Amino acid sequence: MGFFIETMLGGLMTGMLYSLVALGFVLIFKASGVFNFAQGAMVLVAALAMARFSEWSNAALGGDSLFLANVIGIIGAGIVMFAVAWTVERFVLRKLVNQEGATLLMVTLGIAYVLEGLGQTFFGSEIYSINVGMPKDPVIMFEGLIEGGVMINKEDFIAAALAAVLVAGLTVFFQKTAVGRALRAVADDHQAAQSVGIPLNKTWVIVWCVAGLVALVAGIIWGSKMGVQFSLVTVALRALPVVILGGLTSVPGAIVGGLIIGVGEKLSEVYLGPYVGGGIEIWFAYVMALIVLLFRPQGLFGEKIINRV
Amino acid sequence: MTTASNAAPAAQTGRQFGDVILDLQNISLRFGGVKALTDISFNIREHEVRAIIGPNGAGKSSMLNVINGVYHPQEGRIMFRGQERKKMEPHMAAQQGIARTFQNIALFKGMSVLDNIMTGRNLKMKCNLFQQALWIGAARNEEIAHRAKVEEIVDFLEIQHIRKTPVGALPYGLQKRVDLGRALAMEPQILLLDEPMAGMNVEEKQDMCRFILDISDQFGTTIVLIEHDMGVVMDISDRVVVLDYGKKIGDGTPDEVRNNQDVINAYLGSGH
Amino acid sequence: MDTGKGRSDIHGQGAEGGLDTFPRYLMHHAKARPQQPAMREKAYGIWQTYSWAQVAENVRAIACGLAQLGFKRGDRLAIVGDNRPRLYWSVAACQCLGGIPVMMYQDAVAQEMVYVLQDAEIKFAIVEDQEQVDKMLEIQPEAPLLEHVIYDDARGMRHYTETLLMGLDELQEMGRIHDRNQSDFLDGEIAKGASDDISIMLYTSGTTGKPKGVCQTHGAFIAAARGGMQFDKLTDREDILSYLPMAWVGDHLFSFAQAMVAGFTINCPESGETVMNDLREIGPTYYFAPPRVFENLLTQVMIRMEDAGALKRKIFSHFMDVARRCGADILDGKPVSGGDRFQYWLGNLLVYGPLKNVLGMSRIRVAYTAGAAIGPDLFRFYRSIGINLKQLYGQTETCAYVCLQPDGQIKLDSVGKPAPFVEVKLADNGEILVKGPMLLKAYYKRPDATAESINADGYFMTGDAGFFDEDGHLKIIDRAKDVGKMADGTMFAPNYIENKLKFFQHIKEAVTFGNGKEFVTAFINIDLEAVGNWAEKKGMAYSGYADLAQQSAVYDLIRDCVEKVNADLANDPNMSGSQIKRFLILHKELDADDGELTRTRKVRRNFIAEKYGELIDAMFEGRKTQFIETQVKYEDGRTAKVSADLRIEEVKTFVPQAGKQAA
Repeated sequence: MGFFIETMLGGLMTGMLYSLVALGFVLIFKASGVFNFAQGAMVLVAALAMARFSEWSNAALGGDSLFLANVIGIIGAGIVMFAVAWTVERFVLRKLVNQEGATLLMVTLGIAYVLEGLGQTFFGSEIYSINVGMPKDPVIMFEGLIEGGVMINKEDFIAAALAAVLVAGLTVFFQKTAVGRALRAVADDHQAAQSVGIPLNKTWVIVWCVAGLVALVAGIIWGSKMGVQFSLVTVALRALPVVILGGLTSVPGAIVGGLIIGVGEKLSEVYLGPYVGGGIEIWFAYVMALIVLLFRPQGLFGEKIINRV
Repeated sequence: MTTASNAAPAAQTGRQFGDVILDLQNISLRFGGVKALTDISFNIREHEVRAIIGPNGAGKSSMLNVINGVYHPQEGRIMFRGQERKKMEPHMAAQQGIARTFQNIALFKGMSVLDNIMTGRNLKMKCNLFQQALWIGAARNEEIAHRAKVEEIVDFLEIQHIRKTPVGALPYGLQKRVDLGRALAMEPQILLLDEPMAGMNVEEKQDMCRFILDISDQFGTTIVLIEHDMGVVMDISDRVVVLDYGKKIGDGTPDEVRNNQDVINAYLGSGH
Repeated sequence: MDTGKGRSDIHGQGAEGGLDTFPRYLMHHAKARPQQPAMREKAYGIWQTYSWAQVAENVRAIACGLAQLGFKRGDRLAIVGDNRPRLYWSVAACQCLGGIPVMMYQDAVAQEMVYVLQDAEIKFAIVEDQEQVDKMLEIQPEAPLLEHVIYDDARGMRHYTETLLMGLDELQEMGRIHDRNQSDFLDGEIAKGASDDISIMLYTSGTTGKPKGVCQTHGAFIAAARGGMQFDKLTDREDILSYLPMAWVGDHLFSFAQAMVAGFTINCPESGETVMNDLREIGPTYYFAPPRVFENLLTQVMIRMEDAGALKRKIFSHFMDVARRCGADILDGKPVSGGDRFQYWLGNLLVYGPLKNVLGMSRIRVAYTAGAAIGPDLFRFYRSIGINLKQLYGQTETCAYVCLQPDGQIKLDSVGKPAPFVEVKLADNGEILVKGPMLLKAYYKRPDATAESINADGYFMTGDAGFFDEDGHLKIIDRAKDVGKMADGTMFAPNYIENKLKFFQHIKEAVTFGNGKEFVTAFINIDLEAVGNWAEKKGMAYSGYADLAQQSAVYDLIRDCVEKVNADLANDPNMSGSQIKRFLILHKELDADDGELTRTRKVRRNFIAEKYGELIDAMFEGRKTQFIETQVKYEDGRTAKVSADLRIEEVKTFVPQAGKQAA
């Protein structure tokens, strides 16, 4: 019993990281109708920037203040993400206003490769670590309820709380503020948004910045857990079925989808793995997404497709 | 229900025109080798209802898009309040106080009626991104003040019952009204209406006429109106420009235009 | 025949503390509960509240303004518009001056208003907005007495230069100055008022002939209001939504008379289309609606339920079964087993509670329906989920106050017992006769009509036929004059049959014919929304009402309903001979604008019989189809012709149950 719960909790934690990446997808899709394949690359770049900036500043500060080094790291990474957003808008999206979705999709693939390449050129391609001082020691819980209790990482807890705050904040931002409304408006209809005086360029920069911010948070958590390396890019591939499962346009969908896939993967790996051979977690998420697509093409939480008669 | 018939005299008598607010001089627009507009000049005076009519394909929408900054004419000058207007984009036109509606309704379909109209207030909002992101007092108060303004528009257009309905779920006639509401929320100086009555039944057309006249009446908004159907427009316009094949063939009061031989030919020729 | 035991403690209605006119009540509330809300109105998305003190101040201003314009005691003031606080104030203001408010239906076209303006010799009118002003200006040449038209909403009025127009704001401003200069003027006018003065004129819609102005006194409406309060223990804490036409007697009783007497709060919706929403926001404690409103609400719920998930649907249908089994009994305080009580409690938590909340009926203590018969299923539904819905019976001539259903004694097919102070008896031909303080004083300028409707003993002849059941509850069958005889002498009560038809959700209107004939035939109007939904589910394509109405699948659907009615009629020994043999579905909806319905949506039988004579003949002659062309009038007054080939179909009839037993 305790083992089952531990497996599930482990799944939930991984799932939450998927959710964060998926959230980036959803944000950009909602606000610009672009399916952004570069989200994974953005996570990598954000994490790389963070790791390297804090490393360098730590060295420059003589190792005195890890906190200060981390702050500098976060600010540096933030600036990098803003630069990415601005560059993408200025040199890519602006030229492609009102283009087909497929064109934009291809473009984001291109952006992904450029980001990966440039990121590694600037920041190096070793494995780096991020240390933001999250406690790593595990705690044993529910000892009274289950024999042996359940072992949980404190780090995971803090990460989960951080993610929850981020999501709540984003929801309020999108639903309640004028900028959020403008972002939704742009997502809905470019032409109409322009006619009421919403500048597309600025809006896109904002959206990509927000997505960059989410990528940064995901990168920091992921990076501090397992180190920053090129394989972070593949995280994006895991988040793909998550957004399909949850619905491309739904923030809660991204969260719940991520959790479902995280838990599903872990449980299937542990309990089904021995029978069907290893590697199940690689394809399990896609199978789940496919099944959902069969029954609900818009995803679990996606906006119902309104067909007026 | 107010009918257009008793509103017509108000259109011809009541309104006081101001100075020329927008002056279009010798506008020509080409798409590649195709001439959309050829050497068109006319002006728009403050507070008037100015109609641009013409058969389908006459260049009316191109003209509107020129005014709105979507298209940039190769030749000619546009004077806005006596200043020559430089190259502009639609959102800049919006900043100058030019609002528009769309022939094929370009609303934010997934958003509620209120949110749609609220987007029209975007330019009037002063709080910056950070204040909004933090959702602090100033941004909140601003939101409330603008919401009050939007409620006046909701009341004006009599769409209280659909406030919270997603626009995509509304029937066509109401969508057109919301489209108008969003443009009105910008408190524009010039309101461009692109075939506001297209696809409507008689009753909806009458309602729309009443709204247009009421807007002109209550807010003094200058209204530029495109229609291909001569009927209704003649009743509510002060001056009418007639286009045909991208050329201006008539300009004047509805009566003058109605008796203009070129106009008669153009309309008879195209089967109207 | 048989005399009902009407409750006749007529002496109980004496005025309390000299409160015998509405202006006195208003001034009393302004002193007794100045800060309590008297009215709310939703404007710009927010509910604005007016306290009793504010209402009194505003009424004074309007009254003084009117006086300044030359309004005299006994003058008539026309009032037209939706339920707006300022129009209710105008009613009270007019009464303060000893004038007579004449309420007019706001959706009437200009030509229909001419008659009232002429008949009541109207000099002053207070109207809601530009729409009504336009109508007044249009008919002013035909009603030259009209001197002043005062409008509430100034929107669109800027360029009107007619000298007889004035804004209500301006009038009030004028009145305030007048009131300041002669502060005892209005109090003097109020003091002159007497209980026996006419307080209001309401025009009967007139199923036949010209409308008649029913003159009711302060005393009559106050008695009706006090009786109702006493009967249902109403307090000054009630909230009511005022959304039915102000010219309708029901609204005047509930939103004006009872609110004035009890001192409770009336709430005016934002617009006609927002009523559902406003209802939810206000959550009235006391509610009044004609059956069709309750029906629309239920239809909406059902449509939404059909779109819900399987689990939700299952829960819903399970608990609706529970409610059907024991809900009404629990409401009536009858014994119910513990298990059922628990299930009902659970159901209330999961289904009825949320449902009532969606309907805006969570707080309702008493709800009434009247104006037409209510379907048994519909009635049972509301009662079973714990809404104390009751029926009442009354006419314009009786302040809508004759019979009420007492709490705990609800019968589906009766209208309850005679209300306090009211005496009811039956004439030999079954016509219902009533007497009491709530009777009309007279029809305006129609002594002949007054004499015709009030008999020598002072009873008002309602024109309805009915009888008392064993518990003393009154049952209404039909209009007395509509009840006819078939060729073989069996009773033919068209309304009775039509109501049975209309209880089916797919049937909106029905008109039956059979007086002096061998068998009964019927015109049917399908309910476009309900049948349209049904058609959509079946994947049927249709291009509008006329097209849908003539599809054979729709005929099959309707035939089933008619057969069920026949089976039902066969069970009733009095009615079994009047089963429907043929029917057709009309190609257009019956419409008040075309004169086929009254403004209160009652069928104008004779008009229809005349207009569609050829269709009726075709049915009785047994033809299979019939061509028809009719004129329709649009809301803007234009007319157009519509024509169609209508199918006529036969229906199965049943051997009378009672007859079989006898044979």
